Amino acid sequence: MTKIVRKLRPTDFWRIGEHESWFSDMSAKGLHLHKMGLHFAHFKIGDPKRMEYRIEVTKKKGMPYEQSEMYEEIGWDYVTSYQFFHVFSSPEENHAPELHTDPMEQSYTLDQLKERLILNFTGTLIGFLLIIGMLLAIWFLDGTPVLRLVEGHAIQLTILSLIILYNVFYSTRAMISIQALRRNLQEGKAIDHHAPWEKSLHKNTAFSIVFIAIALVSAILPFVQLFKHETFTLPENDSNLPIVRLADIEQNSLLVRDEYYIDEIDWANRYTTNWSVFAPVQYKYDESGMIENRKWLDESGTYSPSVSAEVYHLRFKVLAEPLIDDLIKWYSYGDEMEPFVEKQHPDFDQLIIHEDAEMKQLFASKEKVVMYVRYNGYAEMDVLIRNAAQKVNLLEGE
Amino acid sequence: MSYNGGPMTEAMYYVLLALMRPNHGYQLMQLITEVSNGRLKMGPGTLYGVLSRMQKDDLIVLSKDDGRRKTYEITSEGERALRIEYERLKSLIIDSALLEEGEKHD
Repeated sequence: MTKIVRKLRPTDFWRIGEHESWFSDMSAKGLHLHKMGLHFAHFKIGDPKRMEYRIEVTKKKGMPYEQSEMYEEIGWDYVTSYQFFHVFSSPEENHAPELHTDPMEQSYTLDQLKERLILNFTGTLIGFLLIIGMLLAIWFLDGTPVLRLVEGHAIQLTILSLIILYNVFYSTRAMISIQALRRNLQEGKAIDHHAPWEKSLHKNTAFSIVFIAIALVSAILPFVQLFKHETFTLPENDSNLPIVRLADIEQNSLLVRDEYYIDEIDWANRYTTNWSVFAPVQYKYDESGMIENRKWLDESGTYSPSVSAEVYHLRFKVLAEPLIDDLIKWYSYGDEMEPFVEKQHPDFDQLIIHEDAEMKQLFASKEKVVMYVRYNGYAEMDVLIRNAAQKVNLLEGE
Repeated sequence: MSYNGGPMTEAMYYVLLALMRPNHGYQLMQLITEVSNGRLKMGPGTLYGVLSRMQKDDLIVLSKDDGRRKTYEITSEGERALRIEYERLKSLIIDSALLEEGEKHD
């Protein structure tokens, strides 16, 4: 069985002369072109032989039978095709006549390819503009870009847009290069069948590695996030969770849970874990309770306090302050009667509170930990702050 | 690029000339070499390109296609274009008489 060797193509697909030259040089080493993939060329191992290669561009994907037969009649054997490119070879010693004797006429063979590359470029550009529009909306429409960054859901789309940006760049170069080649042919400059390809190799290899690394990261990230994203029913007593508990705030032995089960999870008393590059530890949770013998002061029914919160353990401390700003923006409606008040507190780097009747909000940070708590009930803000401080310390100490 | 009546490429001209008698691809190549007294050796890539382009422009037609060999022949439109080009080339020669005079002076 003939052994096949795969090699990364050293240069961009539109550099016809460099490809012909590369195939020749490989044949001289005993590697004879067999098949061409998108990124890799497949060579059959054989005896070293001096071969000439020519690449023909056609209007449609296939090579017309008549054309390849004409080539074979004068000594050019068909090797393989990829997209609109067709490779022929002939032993150097045979001195087979050139396929193209008129550069002007050869330039016409590139007309369709040129049109196709322009179309391709336009399509890629439109795709890129759409994704940029989408990204701008995701990042900036709510005016909370740091919150989006920390949540990490838009990271993959952003990386994807980088890949598309690279495609825009690549298709621009393809389009310009084919036009330049056409112009050269029209000016009578024939293709150099022995154009040096080595200098393109290193550039192309380096680019491929970077590209594959980026693509890999962008493919893995959502799986990590999916894996780390889980929702659980909040345990009755678990002080290891860095979250402010309703029982600690209410301090009332008659407090019972106000449950709301869907699919075996109590969504009124749950916590969700999450992960992102910029905040590897994240919790979101809700807790709801009831005290049977107590009523809301406005007689609207049984007293049912609740607490919702978010905790972020950030990768970088510098994100803490802008994240708090974004959380305030995200959780305020712009029509608050009461102001958001910044307080000094020994247990926090930053503490901002907001009280509106029984609704109390707290935004706090310490080192890399940021916490947002919203409590609905009659306990004092001080109780909330004390509990938050204790939990922030718990996580920050980790 | 379709033919717009302007100056032809050498390849076009010789293919039209050779197709004054119906012929097929491989033979055409040899015929062109013959007609041009060995001056022009046309590659099959160039020939194929010229054939398919001129067929699209109705300068030549496929007169026979037995699956293996395609025989082409010139159309009246093709012949007209060829003759116009011939007249143009003749004027080129007449205008170049200047060069012959120049040589005499030397």
